[in-house]
Amino acid sequence: MLIYAINRILQIIPVIFILSVLVFGFVHALPGDVIDTLTATDGEEDPEVRAALEEEFGLNKPIYVQYFIWVGSALQGDFGKSLVTRRPVNIELIERIPATVYLALVGIGLSILIAVPLGTLAAVRRNTLTDYSAQISSLAGISIPEFWFAILCILLFALHLGWLPSSGYAPLFEEPGKSVLYLILPALAVGFRQAAFTTRLTRSSMLDEISKDYVDTARSLGLSERKVIYKYTLRNAMIPTITISGLQLAGLLGGTVVLETIFSWPGIGLAIYSAIQLRDFPVIQAGVLVLGIMVVIINLLVDLLYRVLNPRVGLG
Amino acid sequence: MSDQQLQSRQRVDTISPDDTPFAIRMRRIRVVSRNAFDELLKSRTATIGAIMMIMLLLTCILTPVLATHPPTKPNYRVRLQPASAEHYFGTDKFGRDIYSRVLWGGQRIVLISIAAVALGLALGIPLGVFAGFFGGRFDSISMRFVDGLIAFPGLLLYLLIITVAREWKLEGFWNDLILIFALGVNTMPEITRLTRGTSMVEAKKEYVEAAHVVGESSLYIALREILPNIVSPLIVNATVRLGYIILIIAALSFLGLGTPPPTPDWGSDLNVAREHMESHPMLAVYPGLAICYSVLAFNLFGDGLRDILDPRIADR
Repeated sequence: MLIYAINRILQIIPVIFILSVLVFGFVHALPGDVIDTLTATDGEEDPEVRAALEEEFGLNKPIYVQYFIWVGSALQGDFGKSLVTRRPVNIELIERIPATVYLALVGIGLSILIAVPLGTLAAVRRNTLTDYSAQISSLAGISIPEFWFAILCILLFALHLGWLPSSGYAPLFEEPGKSVLYLILPALAVGFRQAAFTTRLTRSSMLDEISKDYVDTARSLGLSERKVIYKYTLRNAMIPTITISGLQLAGLLGGTVVLETIFSWPGIGLAIYSAIQLRDFPVIQAGVLVLGIMVVIINLLVDLLYRVLNPRVGLG
Repeated sequence: MSDQQLQSRQRVDTISPDDTPFAIRMRRIRVVSRNAFDELLKSRTATIGAIMMIMLLLTCILTPVLATHPPTKPNYRVRLQPASAEHYFGTDKFGRDIYSRVLWGGQRIVLISIAAVALGLALGIPLGVFAGFFGGRFDSISMRFVDGLIAFPGLLLYLLIITVAREWKLEGFWNDLILIFALGVNTMPEITRLTRGTSMVEAKKEYVEAAHVVGESSLYIALREILPNIVSPLIVNATVRLGYIILIIAALSFLGLGTPPPTPDWGSDLNVAREHMESHPMLAVYPGLAICYSVLAFNLFGDGLRDILDPRIADR
């Protein structure tokens, strides 16, 4: 296990290296250079201004030197300055992290609250109407694009019924009431899709557990069905569910770009999206790198956790 | 098809001495496909999925016949009309026929998804078969490479790639080509892993040993003996993947990072529909339903197929 863990940790080093090269190469794969974007004066421009700007952004050095400077300062948390606001990129991004994490955590929590009871019920009452409706709704959940679901939610709850705000954000600790109101629709949209995956998973791992010998033993000892299911089976069946929820969390940190855009939710996803719109390349660069590294690390943790919880998985 | 696979089915071919090789081959194909068809009908999920899929593909092929209006030509006299006999789904803000746009958009998105999955299969299958069959250093090097690819957060990479493509003013065909390439490369790792795993199992079976004894070359065995036996899990994976890719393409173009406006596209049409959500909510319904239908078709078919091919799961 220890050797596997070390191997697995060593494996992410080349991945992060390639990710950083890709992200760095991205800016240099753009036509023209950053100065053109910055001055936005095609053709006629002041060579002195250009030289000054090149100096400011370190563009007058060879490309590999630029890469090492970029990585060096990135390691110290310095991603340069935003081309639009001229503020340091790391400050722009750090401000955005709480909103993304808040949404992702509540969304995952919501999905577990929906999915675990539903999946368990479907497995316990296998091949009944309950099971079929759970299966059909989870299949639908997987097939409905989350942004469409979000739009339909806005249509119904915000525009038609007028119960909830259609978009916006308030920090949890400053205005808790308002914050929760703003959170409901985005969290629903996140939770709905994740719940569909988790329901399917919970159902199949519950069925797996129920068919095992220890369940028969427990029943023959006269334990009540309720106790067998909820005390023994469910606990074992939760292992894959927990792991997958961790993976989903990783996915959500990188994947809520669409939902954050729809709900004007000021997270990292929205920051990257608006940076793309405004061609603010340092922010895109840093945002993708940071999110990418977070996803790689969470994947690693989940992978390791999975093997700790389930030692039968081959250590390939 | 190898003999091993034939024998596992219900209908078995009998060969009389005076058959030509071609006749034997044709009859085998017939027997195998009839058996496959019988199996398919056993699963309700797979049957429904197959019907939905065939309808979707037929609609895509027949789009030029079925569409009633040119999808990109504006007609300002009939802006934002409700559904009527002339415009089945009504018209959008430029007076374009939504029914025709949904059809043409569908043809495009399905074609791109199929091309991307095909690329993923074309890259992944050979690599997987050779890695699994030959093993050794080739296996470990290619698997590290694949692990690296899997670790990359997908959506973020597409955002990078598409931003670069947009800055280079790549439009229409070239833009689609880059999308296909990115999605195909992202499909590859999973296919490679799957192929490798199954061909490693196959490589240890007796019929492969027998083929070695008879003196067939390793390449021949890998391609003609092993490959046909690992087709079924690949079909399942590729089908489910098609649905997933449709969701990604729609999400990207919803964010405005797909093909630029006049081209009919489910994602960007949904995005435009948001502007008129209050007055014309139906605009947001049709493209969304179309996405759901296609993704559901592929998911149902893949799910049902998996049940048929893996009876252990179907039993549950």
